[in-house]
Amino acid sequence: MASHGLTYEGCNFLRQRLVLSALSGKRVKIKNIRSKDDEPGLRGTVLVYQPGLLYGGTVEHDCNPQRSIGYYLEALLMLGPFMKSPLKATLRGVTNDLTDPTVDLLKSTALPVMKKFGIDGEGFDIKVVKRGMAPGGGGEVVFTCPVRKTVRPVQLTDPGKIKRIRGVAYSVRVSPQMGNRIVESARGILNQFLPDIYIYTDHMKGANSGKSPGFGLTLVAETLNGYFLSAEMLSTPQGQGDPILPEDLGRNCAKLLLEEIYRGGCVDSSNQSLALLLMTLGQQDVSKVLLGPLSPYTIEFLRHIRDFFQIMFKIEVQKPLEDERKGGDKVLMTCVGVGYSNISKTLK
Amino acid sequence: MPFKKQKQHQQKHSGPKAEKKKLKKQNGSTEEDERKRNPKAFAVQSAVRMAKTFHRAQDIKTKKHHVPVVDRTPLEPPPIVIVVVGPPKVGKSTLIRCLIKNFTRQKLTDICGPVTIVSGKKRRLTFMECNNDINSMIDLAKVADLVLMLIDASFGFEMETFEFLNICQVHGFPRIMGVLTHLDAFKNNKTLRKTKKNLKHRFWTEVYQGAKLFYLSGMVYGEYQNQEVKNLGRFISVMKFRPLVWQTSHPYILADRIEDLTDPERLRTDPKCDRTVSLYGYLRGTHLKNKGQVHIPGVGDFQMSDVNFLPDPCPLPGTQKKRALNEKERLLYAPMAGVGGVVYDKDAVYIDLPANHVKQLQEVRPTTELVQSLIETHVTLDAKMAASKVSLFSGSAGLDPTDISEVQEGLREIHVWDAHTQTQRRKVVFTGLEEEEDDVSGSSSDEDDDGSDQENQEEEDDLSTFLKEVRDKSEKATKGSTPPVKKRKLEEMQGEEEVIAEAPAFADSEDELERGEADSEGEGEAERAGDSGHCSKESEEDSDDEEDGDEDDESMEEEIGADDSDEEEEQGKYHSGTFKWKEGLQQKASAAFLRHQEAAPNLRKLVYGSVVEAEDSEEEEEELGGLFRVNRPQKSKKVQADALDCSHFNPDISHNWELEEMLNSIRDCFVTGQWEEGQDAATLLKEDGKSSGGGAFCSLYSELKSESDEDETDDEDQQVKMDDEEVQKNKRLEKKRRLKERFDTEYDDGDATYFDDLKEEMQKQAELNRAEFEDMDDESRVQYEGFRPGMYVRLEISSLPCEFVTNFDPHYPVIIGGLGTSEGNVGYLQMRLKKHRWYERILKTRDPLILSLGWRRFQTIPLYHIEDHNGRHRLLKYTPQHMHCGASIWGPITPQGTGFLAVQSVSGVKANFRIAATGVVLDLDKSVTIVKKLKLIGYPYKIFQNTCFIKGMFNTVLEVAKFEGASIRTVSGVRGQIKKALSTPPGAFRATFEDRLLMSDIVFLRSWYPVSIPQLYNPVTSLLLPVGQKDSWSGMRTVGQLKHDLGVRNKPSIDSLYKPITRAPRHFNPLHIPKELQKALPFKSKPKLLQPKGKVPRDLKRASVIREPHERKVAELLRALSTVHHYKKKVAQRAHHAKHKEFLQQKEKDEEAKMKRMKDARKKLYRIMGQKDQKKQRSSLKGTPQDD
Repeated sequence: MASHGLTYEGCNFLRQRLVLSALSGKRVKIKNIRSKDDEPGLRGTVLVYQPGLLYGGTVEHDCNPQRSIGYYLEALLMLGPFMKSPLKATLRGVTNDLTDPTVDLLKSTALPVMKKFGIDGEGFDIKVVKRGMAPGGGGEVVFTCPVRKTVRPVQLTDPGKIKRIRGVAYSVRVSPQMGNRIVESARGILNQFLPDIYIYTDHMKGANSGKSPGFGLTLVAETLNGYFLSAEMLSTPQGQGDPILPEDLGRNCAKLLLEEIYRGGCVDSSNQSLALLLMTLGQQDVSKVLLGPLSPYTIEFLRHIRDFFQIMFKIEVQKPLEDERKGGDKVLMTCVGVGYSNISKTLK
Repeated sequence: MPFKKQKQHQQKHSGPKAEKKKLKKQNGSTEEDERKRNPKAFAVQSAVRMAKTFHRAQDIKTKKHHVPVVDRTPLEPPPIVIVVVGPPKVGKSTLIRCLIKNFTRQKLTDICGPVTIVSGKKRRLTFMECNNDINSMIDLAKVADLVLMLIDASFGFEMETFEFLNICQVHGFPRIMGVLTHLDAFKNNKTLRKTKKNLKHRFWTEVYQGAKLFYLSGMVYGEYQNQEVKNLGRFISVMKFRPLVWQTSHPYILADRIEDLTDPERLRTDPKCDRTVSLYGYLRGTHLKNKGQVHIPGVGDFQMSDVNFLPDPCPLPGTQKKRALNEKERLLYAPMAGVGGVVYDKDAVYIDLPANHVKQLQEVRPTTELVQSLIETHVTLDAKMAASKVSLFSGSAGLDPTDISEVQEGLREIHVWDAHTQTQRRKVVFTGLEEEEDDVSGSSSDEDDDGSDQENQEEEDDLSTFLKEVRDKSEKATKGSTPPVKKRKLEEMQGEEEVIAEAPAFADSEDELERGEADSEGEGEAERAGDSGHCSKESEEDSDDEEDGDEDDESMEEEIGADDSDEEEEQGKYHSGTFKWKEGLQQKASAAFLRHQEAAPNLRKLVYGSVVEAEDSEEEEEELGGLFRVNRPQKSKKVQADALDCSHFNPDISHNWELEEMLNSIRDCFVTGQWEEGQDAATLLKEDGKSSGGGAFCSLYSELKSESDEDETDDEDQQVKMDDEEVQKNKRLEKKRRLKERFDTEYDDGDATYFDDLKEEMQKQAELNRAEFEDMDDESRVQYEGFRPGMYVRLEISSLPCEFVTNFDPHYPVIIGGLGTSEGNVGYLQMRLKKHRWYERILKTRDPLILSLGWRRFQTIPLYHIEDHNGRHRLLKYTPQHMHCGASIWGPITPQGTGFLAVQSVSGVKANFRIAATGVVLDLDKSVTIVKKLKLIGYPYKIFQNTCFIKGMFNTVLEVAKFEGASIRTVSGVRGQIKKALSTPPGAFRATFEDRLLMSDIVFLRSWYPVSIPQLYNPVTSLLLPVGQKDSWSGMRTVGQLKHDLGVRNKPSIDSLYKPITRAPRHFNPLHIPKELQKALPFKSKPKLLQPKGKVPRDLKRASVIREPHERKVAELLRALSTVHHYKKKVAQRAHHAKHKEFLQQKEKDEEAKMKRMKDARKKLYRIMGQKDQKKQRSSLKGTPQDD
């Protein structure tokens, strides 16, 4: 059925297009992929994707070390619940880098978001088996996800107040003291707001420490209503730019968390598109979610959702009151789901 | 026989019985009372039994539960589809006519297509007659809410009735009401009663016990009796409906009006061209998204090119408090039957208006005019913009202002509202420029409901200025042109003009959009003002740049002008080193992206508003010297398109988290910050104290606190006392609510079950669904939700086959069924199938079968299979007789759990039951591999002990290698294994067996060969057939049919022919036992070697004796003497016998006497002994105490 293919240009938002194509069953054609570049990177500048069924099961993949596993995982999180059989994906490569959300971040924020949509169960987990920092990689992550036939509509409108802050300060192939230094400095800033802060130090050694040295911090703020906001910061990869002091890193990461809290909402900025996708795929009921300001990636995702599912979101800006001290503008996204049902799942 | 009237019962009014009764009545003997009065009767007799009864009660209770679903019925539901079904000549049309007359007081002579009427204050009905074609029956069963099943009682049930019932069962069971007609054919009352009862019970077994069956007794002047029709009408108007799974998850429309919009000129030149058709009808089921895919059963799959909603042609009356509808509100809408609209013939329009409706129509005229204008807009705003661009471009292509006016000539239609006939006419107009402009302005005013003149003015101004610019540009271009660059220039101009043509249009559209948004969302005026100011600034920039006249960046400007906010976002990543102004812009934009988003008057516009331009702008390309393209890697669009795919959201640089004020701005996000009024721990505590009032400390504390509060308020807010009171009141209310909530949770939760919770959740969701978009206007609401059920919509489909229009027959239903995500695709389907028990034949694998699945009817080739105990799916040649089997087909993707039915042919009417099979979709891929048995045969050519060489099974060594280790068997049952390939002959191999083979043995290998599913998906296009032949669709024929039609008969293999049996006489060799063995055998088993007795030789024979006469006499005498002696002896013996008998009797008698004597003696003796014993005992009893 050639009538309902979609055409795009350029390599950007490749994952969005592929994911939405796979879920909506619409064919997608991407033209002019870096057509002006001398090295387009692919063997050609056009990509045509004809979606089939999502099989799931046990998958292993050696990810390209140019992008971290988070890049792959972001797409996989969107597809995972709609497979034929429960997914168990083992991804190898870079677990933490600067461009993409790290595995730790996704584990602590994306999973709770999906749980709100009724995707949970014992087999729903992201496990960091080995950690591999940016240039070298060598990390390993196991993502398991159960299968759902339908997704529940949600009303995530009241984020509630932040009750605790947790975090992981990880370090590999550097002095284990780094972790403690990071924690110290991060606490210094966050303690102004909250006493309940606990940051784990995770120092991995030997085979589990990957190929490159590095350290980083992931901070997660949990609200009373069970929503998670997070921020992260990493050391610059070995041999790429100036090294960063762990104290600075801790401080900057804490500030990033404050920024994230300033943005606010029920879903943090890196999972906006995941939440919006799950809302779109919900039953034919109204779903609502309160977000911080929309990221450019999310805005493009909204456009893509409209292309693939003909779903438009009602976007209402909630401005803070005069005397309210709760950060910046919030955006209330409302939509009616398409009534998606997992067509890969077998009826017994 | 005369009845004797029985004596009536006379109630006693006085006397003791009456007194007793009165007393009983006064006291009231309720159950409770009885329990009290007689507690023993109600006591627990057996715990087990109690448990059992409790169990049973609970079972019955839970069985009544259905899985709760969210109630998604809209506030104004679409008319209920009532399908009237029955075999021909049963009175379908008459019934519809009577019902319509009953509800609307109008007479409809010809029932064509759906007829919609208003039946009550909250209910509308759409009647549709189902003809006797199985295609129509299948289609209508899928959309029906209520089925009126007409049954000719004088004839009994006909096959169609049962077929339709089975179709309904497969596609979700709508409400079914039976109607018995032709009851006046019965003259005898008893047979009538009997028939009614029989039919009723048969109907009940098919539908459900107690299903409603109506009796229409007789006809009066060709109509059913008024009272009966009225009763039926009442039943219909109070009927409740259950939600059906397929219907509630898919949007669908039963089209009640169809128009061909194809350009008449094209039709003239190519009468067989694909048609653009608009279909009208009420949307049912669920929300319909624009541009989605639909399936029209009997036609095929199509993409909707446009959807819009129209005012309801048959609206429900207002919400006045009245009991009944008045005459004006009893509307009737049936365009296909020529009522409430227009009848469209091929080349004429007929209008049919009843006299009593003219007045009413005039009253609503202004709105209908609006409707007409809406109907007129066959294209959307975007499409119009695109169209206007094209015309402008083609006008300026001649580089002459006069040419601009020369727009392509051709037939155009203008819709004219004819006030006299109350209809819209499509006038054919030859277009010139004036009309074009008129049209443009007209259409714009159409789009804009406000019809503001000012805007039109603006637009025209824009248009004129831009026309001027175009001219300027073209002049410039011609001046500077040199022959080699000419082509390039032309192309450039193309780009420019496209852009120019776009720009005002988009600006305009956005303004409108914006305004609509601002209005709808009710945002402040300030924002709007700010936005417009922003726009004007941009346009100023535009004009400045245009003065520069730089061709290269002009296009960029236009783009910016077109999508201001979007561009700002993109310019964050946009960096060009050549132009200074651009740098400035870029910096501005990148710095302010976030703030812009915050300040954006309309985030929606930022997200959705300007995607169309983005696509258009990519078309512009610059060329240099006609050969080389200017490669601009840093163009904003392209840069974004090829940027890094990353979801990271960079933080706002302007936020400095070192500053105290910044930190303060998020203080309240933490639990340590300040809480809201209602949630603050302190206030909660306080209120708790107040409400409980128990603890002295609490009350004291609260008093103190309240006093201090009051003091404060007195000090500060004396002038806003009124306000304060209100606040207080609100507070009180809030407190009350909270208390109630707490009370509820405390006391109600006790017996709330999981089911109740679920139901409540669904209820909440339903309320939210209703409330969320309630106060929006339909235009914007449609964009968010899609078109909601109950709306009257118009769909435009651009490529329908011409036969749909030319062969249109309103008696056949036109259903437009929306398809869900990926339901438009075709793939492999796994199903569970069972041959219908009423279908007479079994189905053969690979025989084409027509399935009705989802909305579709299609022909496909199924493969039947069954799962063996080891999980293998074995191909079946035929479906099992009374069992489910698997079926795999190539067909449209349909969600799992959808039911389907199969028929072998849809053409003609057969006497037999036509539904061949029913089933359900299980899976949507090829995960099941179907295999069939394959036996490879080989022959031994060399036999060793248990090993032998086998040839003829394979052809190459490679094939053997693949099967190494496979088990093989001979026909006689000797098992073995393939060992290794042999080099010669190719394909031979060594195998070992459990026993020695013979050269005559045949060796075979049992293997399983996967079967591929044939990819036939052939939609049944019954609606495209000529009128009158619509029930004669035939697709691919089965092999059997083909052979029958072509007269081909298979030559049977000679081996399988029957021959007369000739049996050769069997010859058995004699049994030979070795001599040694014979010797060892026991005599019994020894072969008996005796010869049969031969003739006795002469010498061994004895001679016969012949007596002398004397000797004979002696012998005679001796014999006589012995006879006498014998007699005497006998007599003597008899006498002796008698004597002995007598003696024995005597002896017995004596014996008896003796025995008697002895008995007496013994008796006497024992008696004496007994007495002695007694005496002894007595004496001992007496004696013992003395001894002690």
